Amino acid sequence: MTNMTGIFIFSEDRALAKQLLTPALELKQALGQPVTALALDGEAAAELAGHGADKVLVLQSASGWVEGLGDAVAGLVGEASVILIGGTQRGKHLAAHVAARLDAGLTTDAKSLKIEAGKLVASRILYAGLAVCEEEQSFPAVATVPARTFPAPAAAAAAGTVESVPTAADGRIAVTGVTPVDKSGVDISSANKLVSVGRGFRSKDDLHLAVELAGKLKGEVSCTRGIAEDEHWLPIERYIGISGQIVKPDLYLAVGLSGQVQHMVGARESKIIVAINSDERAPIFEAADYGIVGDLYAVLPLLTAAINA
Amino acid sequence: MPKFLVLYKWTLDEQDIKVKSDDLSLDASRAKGKISDFDRNAIEEAAAIVEKQGGSVEALSYGTPTVKQSLKDVLSRGVDKAYWIGDASAETADAAVTAKVLAAAIRKIGPYDFILTGEGSSDQFNQQTAPRLAALLGLPCLSFVHKLEVDGAKASVARKLADCTELATVTGPAVISVLSDINKPRIPGLKQVLGAAKKPSEEIALGSLGLAAEDLQPKASRRSVKGFVMTRKNVIYKDAPADAVAKLVSSLAGEGLI
Repeated sequence: MTNMTGIFIFSEDRALAKQLLTPALELKQALGQPVTALALDGEAAAELAGHGADKVLVLQSASGWVEGLGDAVAGLVGEASVILIGGTQRGKHLAAHVAARLDAGLTTDAKSLKIEAGKLVASRILYAGLAVCEEEQSFPAVATVPARTFPAPAAAAAAGTVESVPTAADGRIAVTGVTPVDKSGVDISSANKLVSVGRGFRSKDDLHLAVELAGKLKGEVSCTRGIAEDEHWLPIERYIGISGQIVKPDLYLAVGLSGQVQHMVGARESKIIVAINSDERAPIFEAADYGIVGDLYAVLPLLTAAINA
Repeated sequence: MPKFLVLYKWTLDEQDIKVKSDDLSLDASRAKGKISDFDRNAIEEAAAIVEKQGGSVEALSYGTPTVKQSLKDVLSRGVDKAYWIGDASAETADAAVTAKVLAAAIRKIGPYDFILTGEGSSDQFNQQTAPRLAALLGLPCLSFVHKLEVDGAKASVARKLADCTELATVTGPAVISVLSDINKPRIPGLKQVLGAAKKPSEEIALGSLGLAAEDLQPKASRRSVKGFVMTRKNVIYKDAPADAVAKLVSSLAGEGLI
């Protein structure tokens, strides 16, 4: 089809939905096509209509289970040129279903988006962060965009229109319970300083060395996937990496961890990275601004003592 | 008794891929193949359920002709039979092509009660195969599963999402993608490795699947791939601990961090 038209956005996460308007409005400039947002309720719809969406469709879904809206969304975006979906897990599931229905490509976790020669060009990472690649898609093109990739746009001068559409959901899945994640723990992604521990620690009892240092720095303790998922020494929410948390603290102090690429992709946007490791050849030193080659059991107590509270 | 099919990808071990410093291209000449990490969890999950309550586990992979090298490994992990599609088209395949090939193969060798796979592959991590495949086959899909119980044709799962745990049920046939914390994949012992040699494997010729040439053309094509470079100061102190710490403290103070 050559007359594909319209830019569509959707995220069940309201903050992320608003952020999607920023690249959508840039695509609108490039393509000269209107932006239509899909929303789950009237309040979210009004917000999107007030921030640049030309039109908002409120999906009247029986269950509200986002992953089950694939067929409905594919139907609504029928003639779209570009569809941007918030890169939550629910959003990724939905996007893949929609892309399959439209026989379209889908770029996962797009970091940048542009139009070149009538194609959507998006950048993303490969090999757990070892490489960056550019993917191009003809229309219809679909991309998921992670939270905080783009800022939310300013309020628009004129509000877009809002209308409701009846939406059928996938009735084959029965959701029997939802337990919110216990947020009593710290939010590692908002900590300014992190002391991150790896397998250089010989036992769980030794982690107090990192806890004390983090305390002095007024930071938090994070870890590698192995420490959380294999050893269970720290909760899953504290592990940094491609499948865990992506953090951007001012200081990332990596202790006794080798710096495998799957881990570092979660930490490499830190402002300053410090490494403490006994293995001089550990890849973490290449990724570090400052480092000490030495035994963490000797170095950490000295470092903790040397920092003035 | 549930009949499982596990989809896995034979990927390069990214630990062995180097970024060339001159042009930032990737050097994979020393990289060995491996079963993609999360797919090992999917294999383990199906194998463990079948070992406990009966049923069968088959595995299917689409890759370049090197995918054949994966057979011994996959068959030593509790899989009864492995199917493989080795074709050069996999080199440029995106998730759209992969899902079409897998769907066509499943129509040929299926049906299965539960089709399992990892949440994403360790090379591309597109995280699309399970939902795309389900859409193409007209099956329900549960993604990001970290607990799975199968009782007859019914599966009860816990999905782990960023802000909640969600419990859901589905009656098979269904497609399920699993997270890495669902289990700890076995490390095959000598007995399993030797046993793998006696297990059946079958090649499925891509040409036998009735796909059009257009189906093998990626919808998202890679335009450029470049190694990610991080420029860091790389100031490394190798002195005795007390001296090294003193220097580091001074550096951190200079950065305004302490």
